Amino acid sequence: MPRHPLVVALFALPATLIFLLFFVGPFAYFAVMSFWSVSSYRISREFTFVNYLDVYREYFYSLGFTFAIALAIAILTTVIAFAFAYLIRFRAGRWGPALLFITLITMFGGYLVKIYAWRTILGTTGILNTGLLELGIISEPLPWLLYNPGAVVTTLTHFLLPFSVLPIYGSLRSISDAQLAAARDLGARPARTLFDIVLPQCELGLVVAFMLAFFIAAGDYITPRLVGGTSTAMVGNFVENQFITALDAPQSSALAVAILLISAGTILGLRSILHRALAVR
Amino acid sequence: MTSRFGRIIWTLFGAATVLFMLSPLFLLVLFSFGRNELASFPMRGLTFDWYRALFAKADFWVALENSAYICLAVGVTSVLVGNLAAFAFAGLRPRRAAPALAAIAMPLMMPPLVLALALFSTYSALGFSLSIATVVPGQVVFIQPFVILVIYSRMASFDTTILDSARDLGASPIKAFLTVTLPIISPTVIGAALIAMALSLDEFIITYYTIGGGLTLPTLIWGLLRRSLDPSVNALATLILVTTVGSTILAIRATRYRG
Repeated sequence: MPRHPLVVALFALPATLIFLLFFVGPFAYFAVMSFWSVSSYRISREFTFVNYLDVYREYFYSLGFTFAIALAIAILTTVIAFAFAYLIRFRAGRWGPALLFITLITMFGGYLVKIYAWRTILGTTGILNTGLLELGIISEPLPWLLYNPGAVVTTLTHFLLPFSVLPIYGSLRSISDAQLAAARDLGARPARTLFDIVLPQCELGLVVAFMLAFFIAAGDYITPRLVGGTSTAMVGNFVENQFITALDAPQSSALAVAILLISAGTILGLRSILHRALAVR
Repeated sequence: MTSRFGRIIWTLFGAATVLFMLSPLFLLVLFSFGRNELASFPMRGLTFDWYRALFAKADFWVALENSAYICLAVGVTSVLVGNLAAFAFAGLRPRRAAPALAAIAMPLMMPPLVLALALFSTYSALGFSLSIATVVPGQVVFIQPFVILVIYSRMASFDTTILDSARDLGASPIKAFLTVTLPIISPTVIGAALIAMALSLDEFIITYYTIGGGLTLPTLIWGLLRRSLDPSVNALATLILVTTVGSTILAIRATRYRG
């Protein structure tokens, strides 16, 4: 392994260059664009704040809706992911590796493919409805399964769950069984052990899992479009729409920056709440 | 009493979660062989018709070829670059490596649409023409963190004393790398390459905005979804699923990754 600082820097150089040239640079340019404006399809590079005023005036409701739905998805995903990671680490015994394996393989298999699968399951003539009809459980197809916020929450939770299980499982793995045994022997109830020993030690895993779920859900536009129906437009849809259809890249950029700032603020806020809640009493 | 009750609850929860994770993928594969035009019950027997319909499309072969090129280029680049970076980070103290890893993993947190539009705007401002070549760096920037994290976590448990022995016995740094380090880490590197290729094959949003109208397998799915009812989507989705899940299983075996 390289020890000399110069060699370390040289080895890290290609990845850093790619990171700077294709992430930091383009994102900085895109963010600066939010202070420009468009008139008759031409971008004028004069500083203006008008796009952010429009974000507030025209997209306030949609930002709030996106925020609520992303929060619901991130909380649901993190809670299920924690319970499942806990099951793998402490409860499943010899089934643990098999459950971890299932989590790993469902991480792949395609974003678009998964959304499409949920659409064919939840549709009026879809697998769930026709299956229930066939079994005689329902006599009419249930039309409310698809094209609503619930379908978006289901689909994105399904997509994000394996990505959230892994960081939490990673933190749970480093908790030693001896600590848990000690807590039990000293008479701690399971809930006390969970709050005072397990949760504080997997704080980082929980934060990473929540962050990933929140950012991806808040910025998504394909899931709402394919399974959310017309009433479930999220900010991502307007970001895309302004960029592609309205050819107003600055407005699109301002919306994207707004949703990223809101996401980052939410995560910092929740993180400090979590940190205080988990502080050892 | 409570422990038996607890066990039942945990079993039910585990079964329900596994069902939730696996059933959509299982149903997709099942209905790609179904005779029904719509994925619905009852299934009217099995058929390979949708695969035949898919293979008859000229677009499919174009998309397959493009996907193969992109996948290979992204796999090779991100493994070379990611491997070097993982080595560099392994040379740092953990306290200093952690923020570096967190920084380079930032593209994972960025919604793909934002990164895609940022890349698209930058390319058009610079006057680059879009092609499968412009797709590659956009994919590498968010795939390299996976490679770096997988190889770095292997390096962290690497016993460096055997390297020191090789050096003490007179091996040059390069010879020590080729004869000691590489054989030990090569399964991890192969695993990381397979994960990188699976992610590349899946990637849709960044590809869609930076390819300039060309086709890959996911953008072909998108086109088929938007047009009309075409059951060959099931067949195409199944092919992508089987390829990525298959390569992931190989990768897990190679890296002996345990979370």
